Amino acid sequence: MVELQNVSVTYSSGVDALNNVSLKINDGDFAFVVGSSGAGKSTMIKLLLKEIDATSGVVTVNGYNLGKLKKKKIPEFRRTLGFVFQDFRLIPSMTVYENIAFVLRVIDAPLKYIRKRVPYVISLVGLHSKTNSYPDELSGGEKQRVAIARALVNDPQLIIADEPTGNIDPELSYEIVELLKGINDQGTTILMVTHEHDLVRHFGGRIINITGGEIVFDEVISGVDEVLPEEELAQAMAEASAAANTGNIVLPDQRIMTPDGGYSGADRNGGSEQ
Amino acid sequence: MKISGFKYLANQGIENIWKNKMMAFATFCVLLISLLLVGGAALFYFNMNSMILGLGNQNEIAVYLDPSTGTARVQEIQAQLETMDNIDSVEYISKEEAYNRMKNQIQQGEAIFDYIDSYEFMPDGFKVTVVSNDRIEDTTAQIGGIEEVQSASSSPQVAEFLRELRRVVSIIAIAVIVALSVVSMIMISNTTKASVFARREEIQIMKYVGATNSFIRTPFFVEGMVTGFFAGAGAFFITWAVYRAIFRILMEQGTLMRAFGVGSIIPFDKIQLWVALAYLVIGSLVGALGSVVSTRRHIDV
Repeated sequence: MVELQNVSVTYSSGVDALNNVSLKINDGDFAFVVGSSGAGKSTMIKLLLKEIDATSGVVTVNGYNLGKLKKKKIPEFRRTLGFVFQDFRLIPSMTVYENIAFVLRVIDAPLKYIRKRVPYVISLVGLHSKTNSYPDELSGGEKQRVAIARALVNDPQLIIADEPTGNIDPELSYEIVELLKGINDQGTTILMVTHEHDLVRHFGGRIINITGGEIVFDEVISGVDEVLPEEELAQAMAEASAAANTGNIVLPDQRIMTPDGGYSGADRNGGSEQ
Repeated sequence: MKISGFKYLANQGIENIWKNKMMAFATFCVLLISLLLVGGAALFYFNMNSMILGLGNQNEIAVYLDPSTGTARVQEIQAQLETMDNIDSVEYISKEEAYNRMKNQIQQGEAIFDYIDSYEFMPDGFKVTVVSNDRIEDTTAQIGGIEEVQSASSSPQVAEFLRELRRVVSIIAIAVIVALSVVSMIMISNTTKASVFARREEIQIMKYVGATNSFIRTPFFVEGMVTGFFAGAGAFFITWAVYRAIFRILMEQGTLMRAFGVGSIIPFDKIQLWVALAYLVIGSLVGALGSVVSTRRHIDV
C-alpha cells in the first residue's frame, strides 16, 4: 500500500517538485503514473524509494512511515519493494541467474531456496535459455525481463516500475506490461511510471496524471483489450509520440487529456463517449 | 550474518578481483610501489641507525691502573668492570703487551727502548667497549672512580658527534617516511576511489534491493585485503632480492667501507620475518581500508 498525505517536496534550489499531493494506492492495484518531463514523477519515485524525504506531509509505503524511518531500517524497507528501471540497472559482471539470486543473497535466504526460486522466476519471465548469459549478451527486452524477475524474486508487496518500456522496442513494450499485469493478477501492487500513452490507453486501469507537481487526474479508465491491428498500432504510436511532447494523453474514448487536466480532443474515427 | 553468507561475500570479493582485473592490477601496482617506497625508506633508516651505533661501539674507554696494583686486584677490577652497567666488553692489556704496543708505535725511536730493559714501569690496563655510546661519559667517570684506576679516558667528542648524527638522520628519515606514507595514502586513496567509482552503479543497485552497508562493503574489504596481501608479498620479494644484492656488494668492499660502519648493516636473514610481516599486514590493512573507505561516498543512496 502506498499513501501520500499532503506531500510537498521543495528542492534546495527552491524548485517545488511536488505540491500538496495526496494519493492512495491500495494493495493489489495496478496504477499508471503519467505526466510530462519535469512534472514531478521522478521526485515521487525518489520519495517512494526513500532516496529523498518530503519537505512536508506523510509518505507511507508498505506500512513504513518513510519520514520517520531510520537510516538503519532503509534496507529492511526496500526489501518489501521491487524496482524496475528504464535503464535496467543489472550488474554487468553477474549472469542472469546471479543478478536475480543476488536479491535473495541480500536477505540471507537459504541456498536451497535460492536454487529453487531463481530458476522459477526466470521461467516466469521466459528466459530459461539465458540463465547463464551476461547482461551484455541480452536484448533490451530480455534485460528488462531480467529486471522484472529480479523485482519479483523477493515476492515483494509492491513493484515500482520507472519507465520500464522506455529503452525497448515499442512492440516489446506490450509484452513487458502484460508481464507486469500478470504479476499484478497474483496480488502484487504495481506502480508504473510511463511516457507511453498508447500503452496506457491500450491497457487502461487507474491513471494518475502529475503535472506541475500536482495530481491533475486520477481515474480508472477501461482499456482496449484486443491487440490493435498493425496500422492502428502505428497510428496510436504516432499519436502517443506527439502527445508525449505536449504532455497530452489520448484516452481510450478518444478524448485528449491535456497536462492541466482539461479535455481538448474530440472523437477519433467516430468513437463514442463513455 | 550466517557463515554461508560471509563465505558468499568473501567469494564475491575474490571474484571481483578477476572481474575487475584492470582496476585490481592498478591498485596492486600502487600498493606495491607505496610499500616499496615506505619500506625502503624504513630499512634505510634502520641500517643507518645500526651503522652509526656500530661506529659508536668502536669508541672505547682506555683504562690504566696504578702500576703498583697487584695481579689479584687487577683480576678483581676486571670482574668489577664486567659487571658494571653499559659495559659491552672488557679486554685486559698486560704491562708486557702495553710495552710492546708502545714499542711498535714509536718505531723510529726504537733505540730508546735499548735503555729500558723492563716493562714493569708500564701500567696494567683494560680496553673497555660500551653498549650505549650515548652514556660513554658517565661510564668513563664511573670507572675513573675505582681507587686503583689511574686514568680512564674516552673520546666524548666522537660520542657527541655520533649522537648528533643519529638525531639528524632520524629526523630526516622519519620526515621522509611520513612524506612517503602521505603520498602513498593519496595514491592508494585515488586508485581505490577510481576502482569503486567504476562500480558505483553496482553499489546503487545493491542499495535499491535492500543490501545493508556491511553486505556491500564486505566484498570490497576482501578484495582490497587480498590485493594488498599480494602487493605486500610482491614488495617483500623485491626487497629481498634488492637488499641481498646491495648487502653482498657492500660486504665485498674492503676495509675502507667498514670504516664507515658498513659492517653493521643488518643481514636480511635477521629481519626477513619482520619485513615480511610488516609488508603483508600493512599491505592487507591499507588495501582493505582504502577500498572500504572509498565506498562511503557511493553507499549513501
